Amino acid sequence: MSNLQQHNGMFDLEKEISQWLKSFRKQRAFDEGSIQEMEMHLRDHTEDLIGQGLSEKEAFQKATQEFGEINQVAKDEYSNIKRKTTIRSILFRTMLNNYFKTTLRSMMKNPLSSFINVFGLAVAIGACMVTYAFIDFDLGIDRFHENKDEIFLSTYNVNREGKEERYGNAPAPLAAMLKNDLSNIENVTRVHDGNAVVKFGDNVFHESVRYVDPAFLEMFSFPLKWGVASSLHDINSIILSEEMSMKYFGEENPVGKEIKVIIGKDISKVFKISGVARKFPKARIIDFTFLANIENMKVFYPSFDFHDWKKQINATFIQVKNPSDLASIKDQMRKYKDFQNEVESDWPISSFGFVSLHDLHLASDEIKNDISYDASDEGRVGLPVITGFILALACFNYLNIAIVSAAKRLKEIGMRKVIGASKRLIVIQFLAENLLLTFIAGIIGFILAATVFLPWFSGFSDISSEFDLLDPNLWLALFVILLFTGIASGIYPAFYISKFQAVNIFKGSVKFGKKNLATKIFLTAQLILTCVGIGFAVIFAQNSWYQGNREWGYNQREVLYAELQTASDLEKLKAEMVKEAGVIAVAGSRHHLSKRFATTIIHLPDHQYEVQELAVGADYFETIDLELKEGRFFNPNQESDKKSLVVNQTFVNSLSLDQPLGTQVKIDSTQYQIVGVVKDFHFNNFYYELRPMIFTLADENAQLFLTLKVDEKSKVASYKALQAAWIELFPETPFNGGFQEDTWVGFYEDLNTMQRFTRATAVVFVLLASLGLYGLIQLNIKGRIREFSIRKTLGARSRNLANNIVKQYLVIFGIAIVLGIPAAHILNSAMLGMMFADPLPYGYLGAVLSSILLIVVLAAVIATQVRKVTRSNPVEGLKVE
Amino acid sequence: MISKNLTAASTKPIILGILKQGNSYGYLIIKKIKELSGGKMEYSDGMLYPVLHRLEKDGLIKSNWTMDGGTRPRKYYEITALGKEELVTEQAQWQQVNAVLNTLWDVKPSTT
Repeated sequence: MSNLQQHNGMFDLEKEISQWLKSFRKQRAFDEGSIQEMEMHLRDHTEDLIGQGLSEKEAFQKATQEFGEINQVAKDEYSNIKRKTTIRSILFRTMLNNYFKTTLRSMMKNPLSSFINVFGLAVAIGACMVTYAFIDFDLGIDRFHENKDEIFLSTYNVNREGKEERYGNAPAPLAAMLKNDLSNIENVTRVHDGNAVVKFGDNVFHESVRYVDPAFLEMFSFPLKWGVASSLHDINSIILSEEMSMKYFGEENPVGKEIKVIIGKDISKVFKISGVARKFPKARIIDFTFLANIENMKVFYPSFDFHDWKKQINATFIQVKNPSDLASIKDQMRKYKDFQNEVESDWPISSFGFVSLHDLHLASDEIKNDISYDASDEGRVGLPVITGFILALACFNYLNIAIVSAAKRLKEIGMRKVIGASKRLIVIQFLAENLLLTFIAGIIGFILAATVFLPWFSGFSDISSEFDLLDPNLWLALFVILLFTGIASGIYPAFYISKFQAVNIFKGSVKFGKKNLATKIFLTAQLILTCVGIGFAVIFAQNSWYQGNREWGYNQREVLYAELQTASDLEKLKAEMVKEAGVIAVAGSRHHLSKRFATTIIHLPDHQYEVQELAVGADYFETIDLELKEGRFFNPNQESDKKSLVVNQTFVNSLSLDQPLGTQVKIDSTQYQIVGVVKDFHFNNFYYELRPMIFTLADENAQLFLTLKVDEKSKVASYKALQAAWIELFPETPFNGGFQEDTWVGFYEDLNTMQRFTRATAVVFVLLASLGLYGLIQLNIKGRIREFSIRKTLGARSRNLANNIVKQYLVIFGIAIVLGIPAAHILNSAMLGMMFADPLPYGYLGAVLSSILLIVVLAAVIATQVRKVTRSNPVEGLKVE
Repeated sequence: MISKNLTAASTKPIILGILKQGNSYGYLIIKKIKELSGGKMEYSDGMLYPVLHRLEKDGLIKSNWTMDGGTRPRKYYEITALGKEELVTEQAQWQQVNAVLNTLWDVKPSTT
């Protein structure tokens, strides 16, 4: 052939053939296989003709001529395709018949890495479901009310030192005014809460009663199990929640029975139970235990004047037919400002506003003193972030393992190309395989979520008992996540591999996944995510530990307290308790740490300031071990200390007082002088910032809290003595007191929950990270088994082999740690800053711990692999194809 | 020369017939047809391929790529059981047509 070519120097057969094939491709009727088939035909024919003595040019011309018009052939072929197949049928058949088989085969070929892939994705998808469940639950809070879009909470804004603050409570007369003045308001209800002792037979408990207008049950959707809602018009009726009904009466229908509600020492009233509410949905914040007509407050709290603009009630809700009326309602409410501001000149209201019941829970963070709250903002942000990280880590694990395994399937891909697979088909094949794998992972993830994750999560959150696994939105979300994951993790290897020339693959000149920049970036990304994940877990756990072991700034462990109903009761109990052997000190107070305070406005010459006030007896400080920084505590017998203040350090700091002692401030119109400064202590739990606080000397007639400092060793005995004395003195009233440290039980439980959650998250991260690394390195070593076997035969020891493997990852690993740990820290600070007023101070410990953990993981993975190699017979390794 | 339509109609039984004698690939099949017809069938080589592909899609034949001994890869076609059945049907049909024509042409045209 070569001399023929010389004869016809001008004619280039190869070029002509590829030209000819090009015109075939243009027709788009043929797949690559058919085109190749025709190429072979032309070559066979041309060769035959050359064999018969024709020149290359003549042979080619004759062969193409006999082949006929390409157009016509294409037309026939095209009608063929059209007649018989649709894209769907191609996809469906190929996918099911072909890819399914190849997917399963390649999965079985490397069961470990397949398991890692599928398991990692499954965990991530399970985490997604938990997140979905949580957010679904959270967004559903208080949205089960039919009228949720028509009910609005009235709010007002106050300008405090240049800052607009929104409040969710309301001036007491507002509701009545709204009802009388504005016709486009359909319904109005006030809501106020009060503590009471509820008594039925031998069942006597401290409870909270919610006082409302009868419209409350018309506006809110709290259907009754027994009784009638309209009975609320009768001021002698009371409606119970199901929980309360169970607590006092068990399964029995209590409607018609009488219970006694006792307020304070002297006031009590017998109510007739007229209804029991059906079990409330879990996704709720606004609810009730005992519901009574608000008119009862006139009996219970005679001094509470509903016409006094200075008095506040907890909430006022309105219901409007048409939410667009709100603007005009707000307009007409302007005049109420004057009523309010006339009596409350310290912080004049600047405007009234409304927030719909639908939005109330989410808006609660921005509204002070409102009836709802939002404690889950960090969950709404944090969970998706954590889940996103888990998903990203799983994806990168997957991606990197996919690249390495694809590199092992190059021959298969080459073969596919030779026998006619187009680039598109290979991409489709890989994506289909990927999607199949992700969907398998999805199914496992779903099962994992339903059987492990959700039950576990509902152990400390309310979500899952009502979570509907058949929720179509969940399935849609799941499908989208799976599709996204499948495509995101598969698209790169698919396109990259499909680009290879079959010839080069067979020649062995294609190397994939080693020197390529993109694969390096992916690997680094995986390691960075691993670092972030582990760092996140370590720092978070550290913070929980830190918060759990923080000092409160006063003695929590050796203090008991009791809350009495009158000052004289306090005196009686005090007299009993001083006799107890284990009691070291006693004090009375009006307010009490972690239990009660007052909000007070202090006036300085140039501005005013809102602080928390604790009115205490003179012995309170020593009893509860508050630490004096400078000055002195109160003198019990000094009449002048009635006008003295002890303040906390935060007070001094926020007012930037250089010389706090002796500073004069005004409360109402009385002049006070600062005589002492105490070190900062935590009135509230660690979620809250320290606030400026003042102590005033409490009038003895107003002291209701008894505080006892007891010997740590006989703490329990003292507690029992306290309880016994109470029962002896006040048999009618249930005991109200306890260990001071128990006042934060909820907080520590919360913290404990968080620790459990963090631990689990940490385990998931470390597990995914190690699995990912394991899979990757295992594949890598498997791919280099020949090289290692040769090295071994030449005398390399396991240390050398390990060095060799480590070297490959060292730089990338370094980069990952340098970028990942600070990233984890930033992420953590943001998260923790949302939750805690005072998160864990930054330390190197976290970074060091995370790095060590990472290195341990990597070392363990490499060690197991190297051991495997060293133990194996190099001959076996060399046999591997 | 045999007409285009008739050629097109007969391609299917011819291909099935050839493949029944043994597996073969496109170029060889064409070559065989040409030999058998002595060049009397009006044929362009390319026309064969769409027919082959259609037969394959209909399940009458199946194909696989084979590398035989260092030469170029070839797509060999093989008749399937379904194809063999189809061939029997085709044979019967062609024989019927043939019989009809033979009967017609053996009888002398009647004088009018």
